[in-house]
Amino acid sequence: MRRFLWPTVALALIILYPLVFTTPFQQRLGALILLYAIAASAWNIVGGYAGQVSVGHVVFFGCGAYASMAAYSHFALPPMVGVPAGIAASVAIAAVIGVPTLRLSGHYFSMATIAVAELARLIVTNTEFLGAAVGLSGPTVPRTVFDLSFISALPYYYLFLTVLLITLGITWWMTNSRIGFYLRAIKDSERAARSLGAPASRVKLYAYMLSAGLTSVAGALYSMMFGFVDPESGLGILISVKMLIMAALGGAGLLFGPLVGAAILVPLEEISNNVLGGKGAGLTFVVYGAIIVIIARFQPGGILALINRLWAKHKPAEAPAAQGAPHAP
Amino acid sequence: MRLKHIAGLLSAAAMSVALAGGASAQQAVKIGVVFPLSGNAASAGVHGKAAIETAVEIINTGSGGLGNLPLTSNAGLKGLGGAKIEVVFADNQGSPAVGQNQALRLITEEKVVALAGAYQSGITLTASAIAEKYGIPFVNGESVAANLTERGFKWFFRVTPVASDFAKIYLEFLKDMKAGGIKTDNVAIVHENTEYGTSVASVITSVFKENGLSIALDIPYAANTTDVQSQVLQLKDKKPDVVIMVSYTSDAILYAKTMQALDYKPPMIIADNSGFSDPSFIKTAGKLTQGLFNRSSFAIGAKGTPTFLINEMYKKKSGGDDLDDTAARQMQGFFVLAEAIDRAGSTDPAKIQAALKATDLKPDQLIMGYKGVKFDDKGQNVLAAGLVIQLQDGENYVPVWPKQLAKTAPALPYKGW
Repeated sequence: MRRFLWPTVALALIILYPLVFTTPFQQRLGALILLYAIAASAWNIVGGYAGQVSVGHVVFFGCGAYASMAAYSHFALPPMVGVPAGIAASVAIAAVIGVPTLRLSGHYFSMATIAVAELARLIVTNTEFLGAAVGLSGPTVPRTVFDLSFISALPYYYLFLTVLLITLGITWWMTNSRIGFYLRAIKDSERAARSLGAPASRVKLYAYMLSAGLTSVAGALYSMMFGFVDPESGLGILISVKMLIMAALGGAGLLFGPLVGAAILVPLEEISNNVLGGKGAGLTFVVYGAIIVIIARFQPGGILALINRLWAKHKPAEAPAAQGAPHAP
Repeated sequence: MRLKHIAGLLSAAAMSVALAGGASAQQAVKIGVVFPLSGNAASAGVHGKAAIETAVEIINTGSGGLGNLPLTSNAGLKGLGGAKIEVVFADNQGSPAVGQNQALRLITEEKVVALAGAYQSGITLTASAIAEKYGIPFVNGESVAANLTERGFKWFFRVTPVASDFAKIYLEFLKDMKAGGIKTDNVAIVHENTEYGTSVASVITSVFKENGLSIALDIPYAANTTDVQSQVLQLKDKKPDVVIMVSYTSDAILYAKTMQALDYKPPMIIADNSGFSDPSFIKTAGKLTQGLFNRSSFAIGAKGTPTFLINEMYKKKSGGDDLDDTAARQMQGFFVLAEAIDRAGSTDPAKIQAALKATDLKPDQLIMGYKGVKFDDKGQNVLAAGLVIQLQDGENYVPVWPKQLAKTAPALPYKGW
């Protein structure tokens, strides 16, 4: 039972956070951490566990965001009605682009996903139905509670927390199922896994589709919170990069890695912008970038890997159980 | 005894701190400004910041000498007992999400009484949405997307003219030229094919159509093209009386050079700001496009005029750059907001909102060439207008229309190189 102790304590702290830090900005910061944690956790399924570094995940993020905003703009429906459509579109796109691109390995796969993301951005920029270059907006004044347009960040916080728990639950279930074992084998050596009869292509594709569907939910939640999406904010390559950095920084291939990464990077980004942004010298990115470089240089396995290692040194017997997921190499 | 003394001193200190705190809260009126201070629009944001800082200096020192411009003849805001304005800048990083986060921070953490910004239309959209939810006035001086004032907002006010206003400027200008005996019947529009060019061209086309003037030729092209020979040859073949160009910078330069190479000079070219106002266009292609008309709502004006003096102050903050149309519109937006706060005589957002609704500024109270500032129910300035400028004698744009704002008469026909 000890293995559930620390996650339970952490969960209790996360639930209590907005009740302790009550200013609107602190609550919003908490909500943003959870939102980015959802996206980074979704990326983690294919990028961390399967070792397929996708830099085009923003396509799925955009699918979710655009589906929600389109449901409102064109049909006057609550944005959340668009969520299933966004998931369906993402999974379908993942299937279509996954079949040819997942055969590529290493950098070639990453490059192919970038190309797909940029293509999607250009297509949407020229599609009138999706608001072209201007973008689509959501309900500015909530009509009903189903519009999920709140003044306070508190409802968003608990909504995002619920979705994050579901995402992590699915991830946990996956890693402990047959697919999870296949993925780990493929990540270590795809050739060896294939030679032992692991259906590598099929398993990678399933992971990709699952990851795509969950990423699209993150995109939908993003658009509902901010009430707007345009090609740059919904399909800009930087969003993919953010998911990747958060997962890698926290610990790619670890269940709670993306959450730890988001909990470090989101406040870092917001606070450095609050303090330095108004000065107008772009200092924010210098500081933000420097910290990422330092962590990458001294702890390439991610913060969580470091914590796990220190923990293992401290209490050797508890270590493997406490981390809840196998080590990244 | 000693304890009593210390207690007395402490309470005196506490009182003075409390008083000082109270006094400074009374004094400064905090306004939040969200601009792109990093990212690919940083140049516009940094110039906007210099413009706002200039405005704050003018209002807070009140040295006078700026004509009828409100708030310039006494230090601080008269309506609030000479309170100074304090601006808190925030960087939107070119992202609608960051823009909204920063607007929220300015409202809830910095306790600003009003907001201004945020340059990019998409970011103005998300930032003003949070202001609307919190009931904080948001005054925009520069974003032109039509949908911003179509959202039924009660706290959003836009001072700048939008695409349909520009279209009307071209129309009125052409009507005036026609009355002067110049042929303007056959109009061609050449525009780049992303959002900016397409939307401006379609607005111009529909405004012209409503007024019984049709666009004879419509030529879209890709802004990142490397060859526009076929488009120029098409113009050369159709011989329009007027060519309206909606372009970004590199394509504008390409057109200027191609026109020279193919020896094509239309009788009149009207350019829609953007690329043609970019200092790098003027430097590279200005000498090839003599007599080009352009639109602007701002002119630096003759020596000694208020706008000239303001430009001198601005140059000290901008590192020597002249006040351009966009930065001037941002500054004008800020002045409108400050004037409303002064008239409201209060920092209560609802009172500022009421004052903004009652805003009625005359042309001589503005730095821009608007016909005034008066907001309709949607928060759009109905008196926003612009003027026509012309590239004359090398590398200078001079105001040529309307007459009361003109420095010289429009020179026709188009001279080229």
